[in-house]
Amino acid sequence: MPHKCTKCGREYKDGSTEILKGCESCGGKKFLYVKEAELNRDVLEEKSMDEIADESNEEVLLVVEPEKKQVEMYDRVETIRIVAPGSYELNLEKMAQTDERVVSVGKEGSYIIDLMSMAKEEPKKKHRKK
Amino acid sequence: MKIFYQTFGTVKKKFSNLLNQFFKKKRTRIGIYGPPNAGKTTLANRIARDWTGDAVGPVSEIPHETRRARRKEDIIISGANGNTVTMDIVDTPGVTTKIDYHEFLEFGMEKDEAIIRAREATEGVAEAMHWLREDIDGVIYMLDSTTDPFMQVNIMMIGIIEARNLPVIIVANKIDLPDAAPARIRSAFPQHPVVSISGLQGRNVEDLYETMLEYFG
Repeated sequence: MPHKCTKCGREYKDGSTEILKGCESCGGKKFLYVKEAELNRDVLEEKSMDEIADESNEEVLLVVEPEKKQVEMYDRVETIRIVAPGSYELNLEKMAQTDERVVSVGKEGSYIIDLMSMAKEEPKKKHRKK
Repeated sequence: MKIFYQTFGTVKKKFSNLLNQFFKKKRTRIGIYGPPNAGKTTLANRIARDWTGDAVGPVSEIPHETRRARRKEDIIISGANGNTVTMDIVDTPGVTTKIDYHEFLEFGMEKDEAIIRAREATEGVAEAMHWLREDIDGVIYMLDSTTDPFMQVNIMMIGIIEARNLPVIIVANKIDLPDAAPARIRSAFPQHPVVSISGLQGRNVEDLYETMLEYFG
């Protein structure tokens, strides 16, 4: 049994995973579960899917997309990223803050950690009097 | 008013520091270090349970379950001869030089979750190393006795610990498993005391406690 987008009325087959990304046509996020017999009710009765959704007691499926976090440069764990062989991205902010070196390989989720750089004592800051 | 509390806070801190200096009340802070999945949290939980009745953190067969250092304070360990030592136990994330999210996928983890885990695990290593630099008085270095002790990480870490002049006890864990070879660990690190235990079953942990009293007391 199908779902229909409440915004544009596009049909999706039952169990389709496509709707999890929102409606392909209009990007709508709400889908109504409709019976086969009533599949074209919106067109026949000249109603919008929203109205039908209100009339029927079916639950409207709301697709919630996980928020994509934009990782800022200084939030990243790695100091150096190897984007591709011979292509590097340096996290200057982190390099300035610490001597610890973490290299990330490829897009994400793969790291090489330089333990020796982390074992070093941080240089003691000298307090200067004005 | 705020300023008053701030000054009051600093005065209080200075005063307590002064008191500590007089009475030399310094707790020994013991870090449990080792590669991922060696059983660090299992041991930390056992120590905490044996002496305080609490747990420290969750354990899992997926590496890098512990991604933040966890501390259990004021654990008083007493030995057979009545000696006691008060210590804080710091359970640290597994130290390794390479973290790849693909290894978590094998455990059925979703890609997004695995990538986040890899990122957190990397931060965890940095945190573990930070503790080692700043705030650790002794180290329990955990090794899984079913694996090769001559891994680069282990040699490097023991070297770093030695360079900092920290007392270290090496624990050969998982002796309940059939292919455990604690003798291999003993021969790998002859310069340090090695205690074979099963953190999971609690086998031989008394031996470890005695060794801790001897080396960290």
